Amino acid sequence: MSSPVFRFRVMAILAGVMSLLLWFVDLPVAYLFNNEDWKSKVEWIPFVHGWIYAVYVLTALQFSVKAKWPLSKVLFLILAGTLPIASLVAERRVVKQYS
Amino acid sequence: MIAVMKAKIIKKVFSGLVALVIATAFIFLGLWQLHRASDLKAEQAKSAQVSTDVHQLTDLASPTVALDSRNVGKIVKVSGHYIASYKAPNQADLDGVVNDWEIALLQVGISDSTDSSILVVRGLWSDRLKEPQLAMSNLVEVTGTLQPHQNEDRAENAPGVISRLDSSVIVGQNPGELFDGFIATTNEVALGEDVVRTRVLPAKPVSLIGGFYWQHISYVVIWWLMAAITLYLPFYRRKTQ
Repeated sequence: MSSPVFRFRVMAILAGVMSLLLWFVDLPVAYLFNNEDWKSKVEWIPFVHGWIYAVYVLTALQFSVKAKWPLSKVLFLILAGTLPIASLVAERRVVKQYS
Repeated sequence: MIAVMKAKIIKKVFSGLVALVIATAFIFLGLWQLHRASDLKAEQAKSAQVSTDVHQLTDLASPTVALDSRNVGKIVKVSGHYIASYKAPNQADLDGVVNDWEIALLQVGISDSTDSSILVVRGLWSDRLKEPQLAMSNLVEVTGTLQPHQNEDRAENAPGVISRLDSSVIVGQNPGELFDGFIATTNEVALGEDVVRTRVLPAKPVSLIGGFYWQHISYVVIWWLMAAITLYLPFYRRKTQ
């Protein structure tokens, strides 16, 4: 169980950081500011976030299935990777419960 | 007992159908992203091609009709008369250098009844007085590349100033119909001579399809992963129960 937890923790932190960057850096620059130079500097964020989220979903699924979590918690864990701090909150809860 | 079993079967069939519907939706979302990825790739490949064929403007565009994206970047030739001139502030060229540009409205006689006009980027605003002045009566032959209209303002609209290179900004100020997009001039001939001045090449237009090819592919992976998970979840629930 320790390996799935570790894998999930790493990916939850990465997905959390990338979500923060996506919501509070990339989206404001893309839709609020009219600056092509800034846009070109942040265009890597959605690209990296997309791939990290895909791996995050796999690790979340592996962990929650092994932990035999109920369906609602599995879904929460999968969706947590899309919100800025939800995956970080989920990571803290998992650490509390399984460490 | 039979009624309970029947209800259980109906519930299972229903949840299976719901899972199938959601999974199908996810698969289609993945396909949509896959199409966006391939469209983006095709658009990038197309913009890398440089065609040297010269077309008549009216062969590629029509007034009041949206410019076909397949014709963007093609070289066009058109004759007409300049009927208005504008300053377009804060325009970036292909190298990212920001300057004020001189824009003219070229009236093109398409038919006897209707006059149509198209915006033309002539060059730097600061160079406008260095050339022989063209009167409205002078016939000018313009050659340049066809460009899509800009969507974002670079300045405030004011008399003699155009906020972005978009004919919709000046609708109502001029008679006749307007072409969508504009021509970035590479050569002008007036009074039988070439008009010699520094030309500007506009920055590449922003693609209508945002993001990168591999970004869209990552979304394809995520949507299809969600579809697989949706199909797996009914079995997972049964196992834990």
